[in-house]
Amino acid sequence: MRTFQRVAVLGFGTMGGGIAQVVAASGRDVVVLETGQERIDLGVAAVRDFLDGGIRRGKATEADRDAVLARITGTTDVADLAGVDLVVEAVTERREVKAELLGRVATVVGEDAVLTTNTSALSVTDLAAALPRPERMAGLHFFNPAPLMAVVEVVRALQTDADVITDLVAFVEDIGKSPVEVKDRPGFLVNRLLMPYLNDVVQEYDDELASAEDIDVAIQLGLGYKLGPLALLDLIGIDVHRHATESAYAATLDPQFAPPPLLAQMVAAGYLGAKSGRGFRVGTEEQGEAR
Amino acid sequence: MTPNQLTVAVLGAGTMGAGIAVVAARAGHRTVLRDVSDEAVHRGLDNAGGFLRKSASLGKLTPEQADAALANLTGSTDLSDVAPADVVVEAVFEDLELKRALFAELDDVVSRDTLFHTNTSTLSVTAIAAGSRHPERVVGTHYCNPAQLMKLVEVAEGRHTASEATKRSLEFLHGVGKTTVITKDRPGFILNRFLIPWENNCIRALEAGLGTVESIDRAVLGALRHPMGPFQLLDVVGLDVHKAVSMRLYEQLREPRFAPPPLVDRMIAAGDLGRKTGRGFYTYDSTRSFGA
Ligand SMILES: NC(=O)c1ccc[n+]([C@@H]2O[C@H](COP(=O)([O-])OP(=O)(O)OC[C@H]3O[C@@H](n4cnc5c(N)ncnc54)[C@H](O)[C@@H]3O)[C@@H](O)[C@H]2O)c1
Ligand SMILES: NC(=O)c1ccc[n+]([C@@H]2O[C@H](COP(=O)([O-])OP(=O)(O)OC[C@H]3O[C@@H](n4cnc5c(N)ncnc54)[C@H](O)[C@@H]3O)[C@@H](O)[C@H]2O)c1
Repeated sequence: MRTFQRVAVLGFGTMGGGIAQVVAASGRDVVVLETGQERIDLGVAAVRDFLDGGIRRGKATEADRDAVLARITGTTDVADLAGVDLVVEAVTERREVKAELLGRVATVVGEDAVLTTNTSALSVTDLAAALPRPERMAGLHFFNPAPLMAVVEVVRALQTDADVITDLVAFVEDIGKSPVEVKDRPGFLVNRLLMPYLNDVVQEYDDELASAEDIDVAIQLGLGYKLGPLALLDLIGIDVHRHATESAYAATLDPQFAPPPLLAQMVAAGYLGAKSGRGFRVGTEEQGEAR
Repeated sequence: MTPNQLTVAVLGAGTMGAGIAVVAARAGHRTVLRDVSDEAVHRGLDNAGGFLRKSASLGKLTPEQADAALANLTGSTDLSDVAPADVVVEAVFEDLELKRALFAELDDVVSRDTLFHTNTSTLSVTAIAAGSRHPERVVGTHYCNPAQLMKLVEVAEGRHTASEATKRSLEFLHGVGKTTVITKDRPGFILNRFLIPWENNCIRALEAGLGTVESIDRAVLGALRHPMGPFQLLDVVGLDVHKAVSMRLYEQLREPRFAPPPLVDRMIAAGDLGRKTGRGFYTYDSTRSFGA
């Protein structure tokens, strides 16, 4: 049974930073690979900010923060990954980028190191196929923000060894998360359920069922969801959702994944949600008091 | 008598009617709860009264507030007691002919200015309104269960609804403390329009082996932070009710994602309707497990 004491995270973006923090908080050493020093600095600063927030709310001490930060090292050199037992890839969501990087990392880490990807929309089986010893590859799908979200999907590719899944499930539990084992299907489990719902909402919004605000208010008050679907899309990123649902559609030809045309229009107009300052709810006139 | 006190008639003293009557009475309106039998009226009044007394004992209302609300509340089986109503809220069985006939009958009983609200979940507001000779007074006002506690009301106009009727309806709803959203007279309004395909999709994912009842609920709770997992919610709603709502939407929209998946029929055939029968997706009654 592998306990994965030395972990490499690839990419120090939103997800890579969150994952590095969660793994470091479990007492493990984490090395994070990035493309440049400035990105490492940004990543470390983001983790520090997150932990400072916890200190302000009285959930952690400065000593906790410093201990977590001390276990995280950044690097731009793949050679520094030699000796890790687990790799969690969380770089940009593009097949060529991930495949190329995983190929290079596979030659540096030991034969027995387990390789995982945090991809949301790509096939784990397909990424594994390009690697030597694909049976040690799996998906480890964290949700954003990783430090707060309780669940991690452990994705079994067609080639994945059963004991790799067993060890990853134990690892996820050990870092304080709740593992859900899933097959390698478009969207895995959670996004497989979420995407048709979000598409449905976008189409009905475009068809003027109700205002964006009223749709969100109805869902929040009527179903008790923390976020309405359109506010959630603004957070996810309209381009990110569109890419994910388009990938699922391409893989399945199932119309429930077909991106509603409004998504492409919003992306064309640069309305990407929170990150661009304009989306379904963000930056629109109608935001304000519920009636 | 408070300045904005109205007379509200609630038709149907069932789950929703009793809840809506509490809302109106607590807001200070004279409220008549009307049903077809004394038994049904008493059951509704008992539920409403029980809720108000419990609210007082929990400190959510002062004893005076609870007493005042109770004093506003009367029951009747006689349609003529509805005559003085400024607002009629219809919450009888989900049956188009019944609702239309009721509005037709009411035309002759109430004044020309009386608002007709229908609490239908899945029927067309326009079709119900057509039962009245004055469809311009009919507005869809869809409360959530339990109406006493849930703040949301979805408001939908029929084809002939007068904007003045909608305006007065919104004032009334805001006056009784509800938050309204404006939607269209389309099957399922907002909530059921999105909830039903979501639930059916979760059931299909279960049937397809994407997860177990427990793992799908856990994933949704943990990753989407919903207050209940899809199967926990279905067990509360009841599989029979879920099927009825799904079928009514499916018949109108003719889109497969509204159709209840076969597992729903099998569960209903087995009597596993959810919490109310001790077993649904989960088992609540331990005596029902084999070998116990
Ligand atoms: N953001 C989310 O909500 C979310 C949730 C679950 C999964 N994911 C998945 O996680 C992955 C990362 O997403 P993100 O939102 O953190 O993206 P991000 O853009 O915030 O971060 C990606 C990082 O990867 C770095 N990178 C790119 N190429 C690299 C390379 N060759 N070597 C090292 N670093 C490289 C980039 O510099 C960047 O900092 C994607 O696969 C995404 O689909 C995202
Ligand atoms: N239960 C829910 O969760 C819910 C939520 C929102 C809307 N609704 C809608 O509210 C309406 C009522 O639902 P419910 O769950 O309260 O039903 P229910 O079966 O609990 O109550 C219906 C009541 O109407 C009475 N009734 C029948 N015909 C009548 C008549 N001619 N005059 C007066 N009363 C009559 C019945 O005797 C019964 O007491 C339906 O249209 C339903 O779709 C229900």
